[in-house]
Amino acid sequence: MHCRMILKYFKYLLRSNFKRSYFSNLILLSYDHFIKIKKIMFYLRYLWAELTRRWSKTLTISLGLAMASAIIITIISVSQSLSTAQDKVLNPLQNVGTDIMVSRTVDSEEIQNLDDATREEALNDNRITMDFSKLGEPGEQFANDTLMPGSMLTFASSETEKLDPSLVKTYATGLVLNVVHQEGTIPKLAAEIETGGQRIGFSQSFQVSDADRQAFMDAQQKAMEELKSKGIDPNSEEGQKLMRQSVPNPVSTVNGEVEVPKSVIRQEIGSFSTDVKTENFTLAGVDTSKNDIGLILPNQIVEGRYLEQPGEVVATRAFAQKKNYSLNGTITIAEKEFTLVGIVDPKLYTMSADLYLSLTDAQQLAGRDGRINVLLVKASNADNVKLAGESAAGLFPGAKVTDASETAQQVSGSLVSAASLTDKFIGVTSIIVVLAAFIIVSLLTILSVNKRVREIGTLKAIGWKNHLIIRQIIAENIVIGVIGAALGIGLALGAIALLNHYDISLSATVAGTDNGFGFARRFLGGENNEGVTASVQLNVIYTYTVLALGSLIALAASLFAGALAAIKAAKMKPQEAFRNLE
Amino acid sequence: MTFIKVKNLLKQYRQGTKTINAVDDIDLNLNKGEFLAIIGSSGSGKSTLLQLIGGLDRPTKGIIEIDGAEITKISDAKLTTLRRDKIGFIFQNFNLIPTLTAAQNVEAVIAKRTKRDRARVKEVLKKVGLEERANHLPSLLSGGEQQRVAIARALINEPAIILADEPTGNLDSKTGESIIRILHDLNKQNKKTVILVTHSDYVKKYADQTIEIKDGKIT
Repeated sequence: MHCRMILKYFKYLLRSNFKRSYFSNLILLSYDHFIKIKKIMFYLRYLWAELTRRWSKTLTISLGLAMASAIIITIISVSQSLSTAQDKVLNPLQNVGTDIMVSRTVDSEEIQNLDDATREEALNDNRITMDFSKLGEPGEQFANDTLMPGSMLTFASSETEKLDPSLVKTYATGLVLNVVHQEGTIPKLAAEIETGGQRIGFSQSFQVSDADRQAFMDAQQKAMEELKSKGIDPNSEEGQKLMRQSVPNPVSTVNGEVEVPKSVIRQEIGSFSTDVKTENFTLAGVDTSKNDIGLILPNQIVEGRYLEQPGEVVATRAFAQKKNYSLNGTITIAEKEFTLVGIVDPKLYTMSADLYLSLTDAQQLAGRDGRINVLLVKASNADNVKLAGESAAGLFPGAKVTDASETAQQVSGSLVSAASLTDKFIGVTSIIVVLAAFIIVSLLTILSVNKRVREIGTLKAIGWKNHLIIRQIIAENIVIGVIGAALGIGLALGAIALLNHYDISLSATVAGTDNGFGFARRFLGGENNEGVTASVQLNVIYTYTVLALGSLIALAASLFAGALAAIKAAKMKPQEAFRNLE
Repeated sequence: MTFIKVKNLLKQYRQGTKTINAVDDIDLNLNKGEFLAIIGSSGSGKSTLLQLIGGLDRPTKGIIEIDGAEITKISDAKLTTLRRDKIGFIFQNFNLIPTLTAAQNVEAVIAKRTKRDRARVKEVLKKVGLEERANHLPSLLSGGEQQRVAIARALINEPAIILADEPTGNLDSKTGESIIRILHDLNKQNKKTVILVTHSDYVKKYADQTIEIKDGKIT
């Protein structure tokens, strides 16, 4: 193209014998060369005139398109941002560098179906002493912590050695315990009931053997003969009496009396009304040897530092605020003192706790050395997650494997409702908006073409062919579409900026894991485990694809309208030029 | 030599159940360079006759020949080309494109664009005495000026025929007569064949041939 142009230019220069100045030559050349373009120049000027001199129409239709385009861009962007936010929240395990979580959870409904060994274990894991009298004399102050794994049964940490190293990149162990903290005055709640001391009499009959019976029969026979020889009828009353005296009945009876041993049974009676306060919270023993996987991670510490040595504890911000803990303060758990070294702001995940300490500390507190109840596993790669899960499920009886999709179901809150709402309505809304845009813009465009019926008739009368008129109307609409698309992007960016300016935050709650502690909590009047709630700032992000889509809708709507208007114009007759309309 | 020949021309309209003969069996012969005035009251069918001759509408029956070629049977596209190349239209309402300037209105009709377009537009505007108003929008021009722009537009493709439909209808009589005089000059000096439809009798004195129409028939 350029080569030909330059050649032509030189030819032109030679022809003109350099009579003209270089500058005018250049202009004349362009004029000559672009005569074809010049031909359409008029149409472009007509287009420009039409759009600028009927600017209110141009603006109205463009704005209509812009609105539709902006609405589409905004709702899609909001929806995408919601799902991005949701993805973050809905994959709580990812927040702790985990693909799968292995536990040995027992549902309270399942407890009847367990084998004896497991049931025994479940009961042992959750034995709670309710006898306050063992804590001291009534009236004394006491504080007592009971630590229980709840329905998350413990298993030996040595089970992790069975993990397939080809499937597992890394793993971390943990021991999550429910703590019931009771303090107050020891109540006189135990009734002492003395039992025993009663005397119980008894009487027992014994059967005789066949030999004895035979001896008895022989003796009876002998006695009867003796009586007959004495001249006494053995069947007479006297004879019977003499018979019983000489031959005693072999069926004998033992009579006796025993005394029940005395004992004192201490038994609590009913519910007690004392000043005993019961609190419960969750304690987690963390595998501090890992930095990228674990119940909490060092990078989640927002104040202070991560656990470094035994005797240290980290609290969540919410729990620290509730309990008025201060950093470097002392926290007593089960009569052992710990130092609060850090405040953690854990992301949403299912295995949340209020206090975190080292795994060994937790095991010691609970008296469960070498036992864990959570195993977090990171698969060697994304494809192996399923396989790793299957292999982990076979580690020990009753192993339960939880992955991202399951934890996602435990998330609820306004974020989830908003996301599912947009998921449901984004399609419908988009269709309505697009349809409305097409219809309104088409009506406006056809209306404006109808207004130009005499103009179009005149153009036809004076020799404009249909294709020129169609081209003109389509061109007008393309430009209007481009303006609409540009305005639409502007409006959408404005709307998105406005949405972001208003700091809309959405919450998401991960249901707390039911550690089977619900019963104890209800019984002891503690609070329910409400899970972890995270507030997610709605940060609407737009992508170029979405902007392009919105623009495309504006362009498509204007083209559609232009096509309808062009068909309408093509059908107009040249004699419309004679119409008398002002 | 007959330049425009009309024979047994019939144009019927349906109006409800009635059929109206807007043009009823009209014969007409016009030589090249002649000035024909068609006079009639409104609704007489004179405008319909002009539209049929100008190839804007098709007759129900009859023949129209322009320069020896039958035009009633040719395609719409060919008819459009014929209108563009051979006929210049002038309308009662001037029918300028409101968004275009005087010069652009003239330019809009140019059939074969050359580098001389602008010069030619200037030329025809000069001919109707509107050189200085070339860049004005129609709304800034008087009725007479608008009609002169329309005449310039009708001339740009150098057509042989000029068809004018009541060109003075929306003008005062003085301006109207000046327009008729321009058309007369075009007829005499440039040998344009002019057909002018009017209801004003005074046009007769400029015409070579006058027909009067009533109810679609020549009286």
